[in-house]
Amino acid sequence: MPDSGYPWPIETTRLDNGLRVVVSEDRSAPAVAVNLWYDVGSRHEPEGQTGFAHLFEHLMFEGSVNVAKTEHMKLVQGCGGSLNATTNPDRTNYFETVPAEHLELALWLEADRMGGLVPALTQETLDNQRDVVKNERRQRYENVPYGDAWLRLLPLLYPPRHPYHHATIGSMADLNAADLATFQAFHTTYYAPNNAVLTVVGDASAAEVFALAEKYFGAIPPRPEIPPAPDGRHVPATGEPAVERVVTDVPAPRVYVAHRTHAFGSPGYDVVTVLATVLGSGRGSRLYQRLAEGERIAQPDLVGAYGVDLAHAPAPLIATATARPGVTAERLGAGLAEVVDELATVPVTATELDRAKALLSTAWWRQMSSVEGRADVLGRYATQFGDPRKAAERLPAWLAVTAEQIAEVAADVLAGPDRVTLTYVSEETS
Amino acid sequence: MTLITTRPGAGAARPYRFPQVVRRGVAGGQVVAAHLPGQTLAVALLLLDAGAGREPGGKEGLGAVLAKALEEGTAQRDATAYALAIEALGTELVTGLDWDSFQVSVQVPVDRLPAAVELLAEAVRTPRLDPDDVRRVRDDEATALRMDWANPGPRADAALRADLFGGENRWGRPLYGDPDSVAALDVEDVRVFHSEWFIRPGTLVVAGDLDRLDLDALGAAAFAGTGGGPVDRGGPIPVVPRDGRRIVLVDRPGSVQSTLRLGHPSPHRAHPDHVPTTLAGTVLGGAFTSRLNHLIREVRGYTYGIRGDFAASRRFGRFAVASGVQTAVTAPALVEAVGEITRTQETGVTEEELAVARSWRAGQLSVELQTPRAIASALATLVVHDLPDDYHARLREELLAADVDRVSTAAATHLHPGSLTLVIEGDAALIRDDLVATGLGEIVTTTP
Repeated sequence: MPDSGYPWPIETTRLDNGLRVVVSEDRSAPAVAVNLWYDVGSRHEPEGQTGFAHLFEHLMFEGSVNVAKTEHMKLVQGCGGSLNATTNPDRTNYFETVPAEHLELALWLEADRMGGLVPALTQETLDNQRDVVKNERRQRYENVPYGDAWLRLLPLLYPPRHPYHHATIGSMADLNAADLATFQAFHTTYYAPNNAVLTVVGDASAAEVFALAEKYFGAIPPRPEIPPAPDGRHVPATGEPAVERVVTDVPAPRVYVAHRTHAFGSPGYDVVTVLATVLGSGRGSRLYQRLAEGERIAQPDLVGAYGVDLAHAPAPLIATATARPGVTAERLGAGLAEVVDELATVPVTATELDRAKALLSTAWWRQMSSVEGRADVLGRYATQFGDPRKAAERLPAWLAVTAEQIAEVAADVLAGPDRVTLTYVSEETS
Repeated sequence: MTLITTRPGAGAARPYRFPQVVRRGVAGGQVVAAHLPGQTLAVALLLLDAGAGREPGGKEGLGAVLAKALEEGTAQRDATAYALAIEALGTELVTGLDWDSFQVSVQVPVDRLPAAVELLAEAVRTPRLDPDDVRRVRDDEATALRMDWANPGPRADAALRADLFGGENRWGRPLYGDPDSVAALDVEDVRVFHSEWFIRPGTLVVAGDLDRLDLDALGAAAFAGTGGGPVDRGGPIPVVPRDGRRIVLVDRPGSVQSTLRLGHPSPHRAHPDHVPTTLAGTVLGGAFTSRLNHLIREVRGYTYGIRGDFAASRRFGRFAVASGVQTAVTAPALVEAVGEITRTQETGVTEEELAVARSWRAGQLSVELQTPRAIASALATLVVHDLPDDYHARLREELLAADVDRVSTAAATHLHPGSLTLVIEGDAALIRDDLVATGLGEIVTTTP
């Protein structure tokens, strides 16, 4: 395997209006990935406006000054492309992969909605997409057992007014209250070239992309003052574990144990990434071996642990297990807590560490195996750490993590008083 | 501000070439490989003629249980030792099941592929299948299905499938079985299914940098100790669309959305209309810009999304539309969805819509076929459906050549709006009267 996590060329420039452009040429397939990271997410939302960053993401597909409503999707799909967008607490990204000869079309579309969305935004569009998003909320969070776990974990992990206190999907009440002027202002405030990174990966040269970026984005004015999100880097420990028990219509008891750890991108979070893999990824993980295999109290398909890669505050580590029939939530919760506790007291063996690193290596290269996977990573590192080349450091950093570091980090951030425990029990068994 | 107002045209088209396909017989089995120079990762996928279609009636879920049981220890090592050995290479054993095939695969850095294929073969060919383990895996699988069936969707899917194909037929029952059919399996069923279908050689699909791989050695590892030849796979099964529409109401009290599954039988995979039918499905419900998504999501705001497509396996196919709509608008959403299906059947597609659909499908061939996993999956399609090495190149041409007449004719021939089964999983107390009032068909209530 290559020593670097990113063995492809990276070239960067910055337009006069502040737009950062990242290009990574790879001619192995006639496809090109275009990816825009806007440095705005649900962490920027003030109280009463939860869900706005995500609802706004929907509006970005509904037409702009030179692109009629519904035309965006039609043009990208009509040239053979795939496209989507996502919003999370940290940022909003928009991306499409198109046959290489349609690169210019993709850049034109992105520029038009960066520089010309507001005049095209109508009340009708807002009302329609508000309904769509409310249905998204029903489908993903309200209509499925345990679907609201993430909505419940965040306020337990982060105090009121912390940028991660509320979930990106927002509340129904806030979505209902959303008015057009707020969204027009939202675009003006945050969708500025100096608040974005444009990344192009694949069958295109840096010179070609830089020239096209200048042609399509160059005239969009920067915004001088972009208000930052509230600072969430320091989350005061309460000294008290947070516990929530939900009695509802679920098919089996389930427990989540969650902790605030370190921010994504920090050395501490590299340790957490390896730790999470040791703890909860695969059949060789501690959780599987202890709860699904050993004690046989957890359902084998539903046990695991993962970090949520957020960069602007201590990011969550979440471990979860669902009870086998006849096992109580209490017994399952005790078993889960014990395995998490032992990360600080029972040293990780060389076998466990090697297994985790092998799985992480494959995961990294899987992300790198497509042009869109690479574009998203470069956009992230340019946006969050100021330099896409830093992407190459992540895999080597994971591979350098030691068992001692895992024990230290576990002792530091996974202690009982800092723990969030969310338990679901069914109405019949409660 | 000066945005460029004119939409740019396309640059010079750059040819897409599917990687060169290598086929060779090794040790009684077939190796089918694609060369991906410079790729760090490689995928090996063992394809067995052991799809759900091979499960005997009344034994639905056998393949899914066996898939889990493969990892419960082998002739050489116990379950924990096996997990540690394969995960130390950086992969898990990934199993997949459809109507036509059973697939087991690994994905690792290319230099680890020989070791990973040996472990894959060890699990597939020589699983321990200890009776206690098999019973536990079966019980866990039944529990997992019960968990899954608590979500909206699986019950509606099962109701649709049963109404289309008949619950007395294997293909009229869920692909992975249901919680009861899985719970009723016994150890002997699993062992017999393994001995019947899992020690025939099958086909090893490899996608990776072939300059660094020895296909003969990989094949020898995958096919060691196998025997038995191919078994006749049977021809297409004739399925007659039902006479008249019917609404099947699956009660889910308290549901804040209604789950819609509308469908009817359609042609099998090798039918000569496969490409135009796929394109008709794309215009109607296959892309974000489809008629259904445009009307039900973008105009009405009834849903987060609605999709419709024709799906085909070797022996049968089905057309189906799937969505989740807000409870209060269940009836209008249903009426409008049926209206779009009817309109498409009656009046066909327009050139403008078809232009998007065919370029999208053709372009996806270069956009989506990048990763070793995607290439392996494309190779598996060649094997399962007996397609030639240049299939992807020909498919692209056939897609681009499909005209309005051909696609509209396919829509007229293969859409049957008058024979639709309309499954609605939702809060029956709230939606039943509205559904009756639509007059779309007789209502049957089921509690599967």
